[in-house]
Amino acid sequence: MSGQKKKNFQIEAFKHRVMVDPKYAEKTWKILEHAIQEIYNHNASGLSFEELYRNAYNMVLHKFGEKLYSGLVTTMTSHLSDISKSIEAAQGELFLEELNRKWLDHNKALQMIRDILMYMDRTFIPSTHKTPVHELGLNLWRDVVIHSCKTQIRLQDTLLELVHRERNGEVINRGLMRSIIKMLMDLGSSVYQDDFEQHFLEVSANFYGLESQQYIESCDCGDYLKKAERRLNEEMERVSHYLDARSLEKITNVVEKEMIENHMHRLVHMENSGLVNMLVNDKYDDLGRKYNLFRRVANGGLLIVRDVMTSYIRDTGKQLVTDPERLKDPVDFVQRLLDLKDKYDKIISLAFNNDKTFQNALNSSFEYFINLNARSPEFISLFVDDKLRKGLKGVSEEDVEVVLDKVMMLFRYLQEKDVFEKYYKQHLAKRLLAGKTVSDDAERSLIVKLKTECGYQFTSKLEGMFTDMKTSQDTMQGFHESLGAELGDSPSLTVQVLTTGSWPTQPSATCNLPAEILGVCEKFRSYYLGTHTGRRLSWQTNMGTADLKAIFGKGQKHELNVSTYQMCVLMLFNNADRLSYKEIEQATEIPASDLKRCLQSLACARVKSVLRKEPIGRDIAEDDAFSVNDKFSSKLYKVRISTVAAQRESEPENQETRQRVEEDRKPQIEAAIVRIMKSRRVLDHNNIVAEVIKQLQSRFLPNPVVIKKRIESLIEREFLERDKNDRKLYRYLA
Amino acid sequence: MRRSASRKTGQPNSTPSLNSSPADLFRSASSKATTKELERIDALYYSYANGSSAMIDPEGIEALCSDMEVDHTDVRILMLAWKMKAEKQGYFSLEEWRRGLKALRADTVNKLKKALPELEKEVKRPTNFVDFYSYAFRYCLTEEKQKSIDIESICELLDLVLGSQFREQVDFFVEYLKTQNDYKVINNDQWMGFYRFCNEISFPDFSNYDPELAWPLILDNFVEWMLAKQS
Repeated sequence: MSGQKKKNFQIEAFKHRVMVDPKYAEKTWKILEHAIQEIYNHNASGLSFEELYRNAYNMVLHKFGEKLYSGLVTTMTSHLSDISKSIEAAQGELFLEELNRKWLDHNKALQMIRDILMYMDRTFIPSTHKTPVHELGLNLWRDVVIHSCKTQIRLQDTLLELVHRERNGEVINRGLMRSIIKMLMDLGSSVYQDDFEQHFLEVSANFYGLESQQYIESCDCGDYLKKAERRLNEEMERVSHYLDARSLEKITNVVEKEMIENHMHRLVHMENSGLVNMLVNDKYDDLGRKYNLFRRVANGGLLIVRDVMTSYIRDTGKQLVTDPERLKDPVDFVQRLLDLKDKYDKIISLAFNNDKTFQNALNSSFEYFINLNARSPEFISLFVDDKLRKGLKGVSEEDVEVVLDKVMMLFRYLQEKDVFEKYYKQHLAKRLLAGKTVSDDAERSLIVKLKTECGYQFTSKLEGMFTDMKTSQDTMQGFHESLGAELGDSPSLTVQVLTTGSWPTQPSATCNLPAEILGVCEKFRSYYLGTHTGRRLSWQTNMGTADLKAIFGKGQKHELNVSTYQMCVLMLFNNADRLSYKEIEQATEIPASDLKRCLQSLACARVKSVLRKEPIGRDIAEDDAFSVNDKFSSKLYKVRISTVAAQRESEPENQETRQRVEEDRKPQIEAAIVRIMKSRRVLDHNNIVAEVIKQLQSRFLPNPVVIKKRIESLIEREFLERDKNDRKLYRYLA
Repeated sequence: MRRSASRKTGQPNSTPSLNSSPADLFRSASSKATTKELERIDALYYSYANGSSAMIDPEGIEALCSDMEVDHTDVRILMLAWKMKAEKQGYFSLEEWRRGLKALRADTVNKLKKALPELEKEVKRPTNFVDFYSYAFRYCLTEEKQKSIDIESICELLDLVLGSQFREQVDFFVEYLKTQNDYKVINNDQWMGFYRFCNEISFPDFSNYDPELAWPLILDNFVEWMLAKQS
């Protein structure tokens, strides 16, 4: 070295000589290819992950990603072909197992391969928009293995065969099924659907179609439904165990359609075991099952059940209310109605899940048939009368409320509530005057319920009746206190002063009271009028009662409880031994029909009667002679003769009451018309009718013809006029 | 609430004449009548009037009718009453007499008689007829505060007033009225309703009759009765 200057000392980086060896790519690929093979041959343990990763990395780095990728595709494809062949070769039962095993292997292999090729996955593939490794592996599996013509069909058949066997009761390998199905799902939902689900549903439809046909021919409704339910549960379980959750709705729809929807009518109307039979026999389980199954059917399942139930209830109810036998005993009649309601309430709550639409159907049915019988209002009042008179004796307060609430429920169904009001008033009057009510609290409780339902006006008069009773008690106290000494030996008198208007009107009749009674009555009258000037009192002799002490021929002593009329008659016999009908009539001046009835109960009773009549017989003629029956006997000291209890009206009485109700309705209709016209001023005929009906329907349903008549009457009295130009209109005249 | 109980007729009944008859019988003549005419009209009145009451009473009317050679139950007498706006059946007051005869330009019995055919025509014109029809009912209300007329009289009145125009309807309705029991009297609303009925409803099929509408109930019943008869 000759004298050279010192240069800067540079250290150069150590460069690894990367040979752009044309064969480099090929060599590297071969390594990787070999690795893949080893992986597939379960020899992966001998491989170095790091080295392989690096190789793959280098290939991508040096722009050989394409080669790597296509190589991968080729290799994997060829391996999968081999696998596919081996699967195809599997015999019988082993097919599925082999497939499954190979699948699991493939997944493991795929994972390892993906790990090795991760760099390519993350860089080369996205930029070239190629399928990622994992997905590629699945697609190849799908295309090469699953969709190989033999395998595809065989797989489908095998799976469906297994399902079929399970449906027939065999136990199958569910784990295997789950795994295979999961494989299909992993391959893509369209694979699952096209390769399996679609066919599964088709086959199931056929299966259940056939089965349902079989069952329906051989089973009764209850059994059929049990089977249907069981199958449904089975399918649900199947899905949860080894099918895709999204298949649940689809397969249940199939079962519902095939087993239920297609046979709905037949199931409901099946003879001796259909819906009606279940209802009649209270088969709650079967009904509940039916309800739950039919509810699943989207279009009209429950509708059929409800309609059949409704028409059956209507028919039953209609029969009940029009049966002449039933109509003889009002209390029984109403009890049967209540029983019917209870029965169906129970069915709806136990079997129909308290479904509101069913409840409504029940209510509308009741409303329909209760109003078919014009006497329903009367009968319901008689039922209440019976309960309040004796039926509720000894019943606890809560139970009383229950009964009264049930009565209210029937009351709500009535269209002619004003008719009920009339009868209720009559019956209440009898109860109060006879002192025959089991519980004052129960009476008041019912009034409160009626008030809540219908408003103050409905019950104001009823409450007035109660008030009168109370006031009378106080009056009597005052009477006895001030006149106590004077009264002395006179018969003891109890007076109830009734305010006219609150109490049901009775035409007052003539009656000659015995002298002893008259005296004390007059004393009361002057006492009362002394403290209440400006009032008028009139004795209602047709409503009173009397207790008479009697001594008969052989010395028997009895106390007789009789009506006022009967008292008048009997007192006559204090002064005469024998009297003819005519004489009695003249002496008492009681109206003939009442007198005859009164004598009949005194003289013509089945059991020994107080009076004797000659000639014997029920009919009373002018010259019949009456005398005291000296042989009268009774086990009891106190004997009740009068019949004061409320009874169902005879036909003529019923007609009369109905007429009175019609008369009462006229002013109500007129008031409604005037109210409406006053606010509207001008209105056409149809609208008036509709408005009137709307206003009055809480009390009764007015007849359009009657409304028209009332309008004409109002025109005549110049409250309204017809419009001069448009004859359909009416005008209010202020 | 005011209840009007007046029975006065409503609209004026003399309209300017539309027909070209040269006779000036229908021109409102109150101002055109000469004094002579008025005197003769009054004189004619007093010739028929009852001495003490100074009104033409039923006797006087009968005399007038026989002079005119018209039966006193003839509808033309009713028309005359309408023209006069007579208030009380069977009686004409001076004012009413003057009103009627002035309008008819009649101051003698002969002229009055000759005026009757034209009067008929005038009444039969649709605008006047409704008024006449309505008047006929009111004219028959003889008592104070009377609002309805008994069935017998109504049947006669219907025949008189509507018989010529609606023979069949009147005959059947009269038969119905006599056989039914629901109504003993007919009121004004029903009376007017029947006229409308004859005009609007096709007879005898009643095809355009709707009982749901505001027809008086008696007509609903009549139609029902007719239909039952026909089947």
